[in-house]
Amino acid sequence: MTHEELEEAVPLYAAGALDRVERQALEAHLLSGCQSCHSALKEYQSVASLLPFGLSPKQAPRALKSKIMAARNQDPMTVDGLLKDPGRRSLEPGEWMNHLFPPIAPARSLSLPWAIGVATVLLVSLGGYFAWTYTTRVSEDTLKIQQLEAALQDQSAKIANLKRDLGLRDRSMAELQVDVQRKMNDVIELKSQLMEREVELESTREQLTAVTRGKVPQDEFATLLRQPDAKVVTLAASDMAKGASGVLLYNPVTQKVWLYSANLPECPAGTAYQLWAIDQKPVSIGTFHIDAGEMAHLLVKRMPDFEKTRKFAVSLEPAGGRPQPSGPIYLAGQRAF
Amino acid sequence: MDTPTRRATSSIDPALLASIVKGDQQAFSQLYDHSSTLLYTLAFRILGDREEADELLQDVYLEVWRKVARYDLGRGTPIAWLITLTRSRAIDRLRARAVRGQTATMPLDATVSSRVADLGPSPFETQADQELRIAVGNAITSLPAAQQQAIELAYYDGLSHNEIAAKLNQPLGTVKTRIKLGMSKLRETLRRCWEQGDLG
Repeated sequence: MTHEELEEAVPLYAAGALDRVERQALEAHLLSGCQSCHSALKEYQSVASLLPFGLSPKQAPRALKSKIMAARNQDPMTVDGLLKDPGRRSLEPGEWMNHLFPPIAPARSLSLPWAIGVATVLLVSLGGYFAWTYTTRVSEDTLKIQQLEAALQDQSAKIANLKRDLGLRDRSMAELQVDVQRKMNDVIELKSQLMEREVELESTREQLTAVTRGKVPQDEFATLLRQPDAKVVTLAASDMAKGASGVLLYNPVTQKVWLYSANLPECPAGTAYQLWAIDQKPVSIGTFHIDAGEMAHLLVKRMPDFEKTRKFAVSLEPAGGRPQPSGPIYLAGQRAF
Repeated sequence: MDTPTRRATSSIDPALLASIVKGDQQAFSQLYDHSSTLLYTLAFRILGDREEADELLQDVYLEVWRKVARYDLGRGTPIAWLITLTRSRAIDRLRARAVRGQTATMPLDATVSSRVADLGPSPFETQADQELRIAVGNAITSLPAAQQQAIELAYYDGLSHNEIAAKLNQPLGTVKTRIKLGMSKLRETLRRCWEQGDLG
């Protein structure tokens, strides 16, 4: 029987409804020390003990008490003799409680005629006694073996249940591991996607910066043109650059100069145009390069000392410029005050 | 035996049994007064015969007198011990009677109606016993009739579930379920009684 079956047999045991074999199996299980079945049995036996309280009471005959009291006062041997042979003993609800009441041994009394025959039947009696002892022991051993077998069966069932539980846990562990691996893969995938997005974002930022960089001068130039304090200096072409022209604008708010040049000749290799501010002596404002086919160029530079400067000029210098003008002048102009 | 100072059957003092062990006849007399109505009621319910119930009660009380030293409080209250002893010996008689071919028990239709036929007060019981009788009676009558019948056939007629199934011509599983459900419901309903120390 499984533990579940044994557990379900407890209320039937307490009600006295189990067959002998089932009763023995449950008792063996109880002897094995199962606390839950012990507790349940105690409660169900309490229920069984309460059942007679629900009956309509019937008073025992008044004479019965005196009869019992009188019988009790008789010789114990006689008292035993009053007890009728109970026949087939009932031990339920449960030998569990009825261990208190082992089957009553038949009353024995030796009369004189029996005593006379004692000597002749002694050997037979001894033989019978040993046979009875042997039989009793065999019965007890058989009962113990049955109880042990039942306990063993119970333990085997428990082990089988534990193995099954273990198997289930192993399976769920394996499923969890697969799940964790899947989640790890998802995380790796997400990281990879994140890196791609970061690269894209960086690229977008660069594009945005480039767009912004191109936009700012245009916006500043638009602001400059709307600036009422803006200064304008016209630069005329020298003989070196016939047809060329230049306009220099100054924004006092930003303190930047804007040189817009048109039709300047292409810079020969290793050379660049250099803008000069000329007060007491020429000061370089910056250099720029005119490539082949470039018709116009805008140079923007910061120049805090514009107000002090009278003249401006553009000369062709070696690439990178020179501290002082060394090449031919291409554009030149003077501020009007 | 029916005096105002009579102790409730459901709460017999274990010390009474301890006195009987020492041969105290007065204690034995008190034990009889406190328990005989319930035990006689039980014996009569099982055997269905007054004369045989008389004999059984003699057997039981004499056995108690001789073997009271074997009583162990750890295994139940005094009245639970006496009820178990009485029921066991009564079932023994019932089976011996069946072997002799005599009529076994009450007819089936009488079993359910036999208990708790009268919920009114009885002059032979204390108020505590009366309250307990009503509580147990109500708990039993609240069960479906089939469950009551199965439990009573086991408890009062000493029949195994196989015998009950054959007697009622019902599947064994059905009978087992009826007993289990009935006992389980009684356990829940009556738990209060033994938690208060009335029995257990």
